[in-house]
Amino acid sequence: MGRRRKSSTTNTTDTTTSSMGDGGGGGGMMGNACYVYPMNNTPALDNNPDVVFQRSVDMNIPVTMDDGNVVNMWGFADGGGGGGGMDGMGGGATFPSAAMRVTEGDVVHTQLNVGMMMWHTIHHHGIEPEYRSDGVGHLSFDVNGNYTYQWRPAHAGTYFYHCHTNTVLHAEMGMYGALIVDPPEGAGTLFSGGPTYDVEAFWVVDEIDSSWHNLDWAAGTCGGDVGLNELNPDYFVITGVDGSGNSAMNTPPISATVQRGQKLLARYICAGYHPQRMRFGGLTGTIYASDGRPLPNPKQVTEINAVSAERYDIIFEPTQRGTYLIETDIIDWITGDVLGTTRTSITVV
Amino acid sequence: MKRRTFLKFGSASAAAALTGTAGLIMWQPRAHAATINKEIWITEGTIAQPDGVNVYFRGFSGSSNNLDVPGQVLMMAAGDTYNLTIHNTLNTSHNLVINELGVNRSVPARSTRSVSISASNPGTYVYYDSTGGMNNRLVGLHGAMVVFPNGANTTVENGRDMPKHDFVWVFHDIDPAWNDAIRRGNNPPNRYVPRYFTINGLSGRPPGSPGNGDPTVDAMHDKRTALHGHLGDRTMVRCINTGRAKHAVHCHANHMEWISTNGQQRDDVWLKDIIPLDANNGTMEFIFPFEPVPDAWPPMTNSTLAQATAEGRKTAYPMHLHDEMTQTAGGGLYMFGAMTDIFFEAN
Repeated sequence: MGRRRKSSTTNTTDTTTSSMGDGGGGGGMMGNACYVYPMNNTPALDNNPDVVFQRSVDMNIPVTMDDGNVVNMWGFADGGGGGGGMDGMGGGATFPSAAMRVTEGDVVHTQLNVGMMMWHTIHHHGIEPEYRSDGVGHLSFDVNGNYTYQWRPAHAGTYFYHCHTNTVLHAEMGMYGALIVDPPEGAGTLFSGGPTYDVEAFWVVDEIDSSWHNLDWAAGTCGGDVGLNELNPDYFVITGVDGSGNSAMNTPPISATVQRGQKLLARYICAGYHPQRMRFGGLTGTIYASDGRPLPNPKQVTEINAVSAERYDIIFEPTQRGTYLIETDIIDWITGDVLGTTRTSITVV
Repeated sequence: MKRRTFLKFGSASAAAALTGTAGLIMWQPRAHAATINKEIWITEGTIAQPDGVNVYFRGFSGSSNNLDVPGQVLMMAAGDTYNLTIHNTLNTSHNLVINELGVNRSVPARSTRSVSISASNPGTYVYYDSTGGMNNRLVGLHGAMVVFPNGANTTVENGRDMPKHDFVWVFHDIDPAWNDAIRRGNNPPNRYVPRYFTINGLSGRPPGSPGNGDPTVDAMHDKRTALHGHLGDRTMVRCINTGRAKHAVHCHANHMEWISTNGQQRDDVWLKDIIPLDANNGTMEFIFPFEPVPDAWPPMTNSTLAQATAEGRKTAYPMHLHDEMTQTAGGGLYMFGAMTDIFFEAN
């Protein structure tokens, strides 16, 4: 199982491979990689976590685009044992990786298993834990073997998790998934004291530069120009689906169908590196929260501008039947030119 | 022909170049307006990048022997008079512009000119050379001016209490081909492709790398750039972006209190872990609250920080731009870009 509740068997014995690390050591050459940091000073773990996620690494996730081309993605498989293997080619993961969903106040363990030939981490973006559970190699350690991140979310909202080793490459390759923290009231309420909702959509908008997708996991870490300063995307995806055509138009939970009088919550994650602009096709939405925190005053909008890793929680209460096109332009970070557009829809019945 | 001053700064000699550049700034409220006199020099030279490549720059420098990129932070209070004398040591004409304050002082080649600056609104401003459009700003002629509230006012923008610390982060992106074309007096290339990304002229130097721990090159260990605080040490951070790429400023550990963008105070202060920073002289201000990290289990306290210190561990988190191309140097070298660290320290 990739997710357990109230486990009583998680007094984890993490692999400790070196006395280096804690951000103060390591950094030398590890195989074909530089500036990765072996585990050290792993913290004590709660023996009775409320939730346990298991993730392993899969670096062979073929995704077929609308033009018929297959782009290989990387990701985290749901389950600690099967997917990772020695070389990350074991399979079992999806793009994006399986979502994590927890309740505010849960003690959560994320168990990461990484094959012996490489290093990765999990950073729970927007979650602010003890530094050794933050998944940032140079300040704690990268993971080779098994490691358990421990955290206890204090704020309901929309987050995501991603690899923070050679991040520029690993996150672009797709090593991320949604992370949802529900309030104690449970799914259906955005945050305690906040709005309720009836239907949920997930808009995780990203761009892909397929020329990066033949690189080694450690590409560039020892120096040399591997082109990671320049992202020239040729595919534009929404929640793992090619969004440039119609593939995401009737694909719940990307697209959504709501009845008049119902409330739709759209969880928008800007997962790319270039800025984005999302338009709601004539609908007006209300932003109630961003980056896992309620806004002091909800804001009504017909479009949203976002930059990398921002999240917005938008509630729609449509009153008119129809199909509304949700379009997101991916905008060049320097020129401001529109590089591509993803499309999905809200159908109101 | 007049002598051409051409300075060269590598890793070992960059200390002089960096003295007095952006970073931690100190300000004491005072009851009366003042007159401030300041001199700066327009100089040129090369600065070694993390991959060893020497790149040409021009800077508003603290002396004729320095090359400061970015230039020093200019500080005044609303109501003060700031008399700035600019010595141009180069054979090309330049200027110093602060758009919002109506400042535009041209300085011919090999000449000295002065300008008197006054400001009525506290805030964070960009000073730069507008000669040749963006060319001279991109090649290094830029810096930050901070205007504090006047009198003995102890509030900062939007009425918040004066923070414990006050920092300036100048973000910049560098296309060495563009800089080299300007050095040669040629038109820059059609495409701008930045290969280096800096914060206060520095870049990340992760543990184990050459320059790690050297505050003259390592943004993670430069105390004018890295944040250090005890629990409750609210810290003001003033960001400017003199490059061409729009950014996503990301702090780990605490959500930021987003208080202004491009000189406009926000009606609502949103708590964000990502804040946009516009390109081409965009500005943004936030407070980093140094609160106990909210999602730690067991919770963070001063005692847990003290225990970490006793065990020889540093409780630190990164700040980096989330448009991750900025975390590279020369097309690779992840962690050698525009980033720094945030240190939580025990009382």
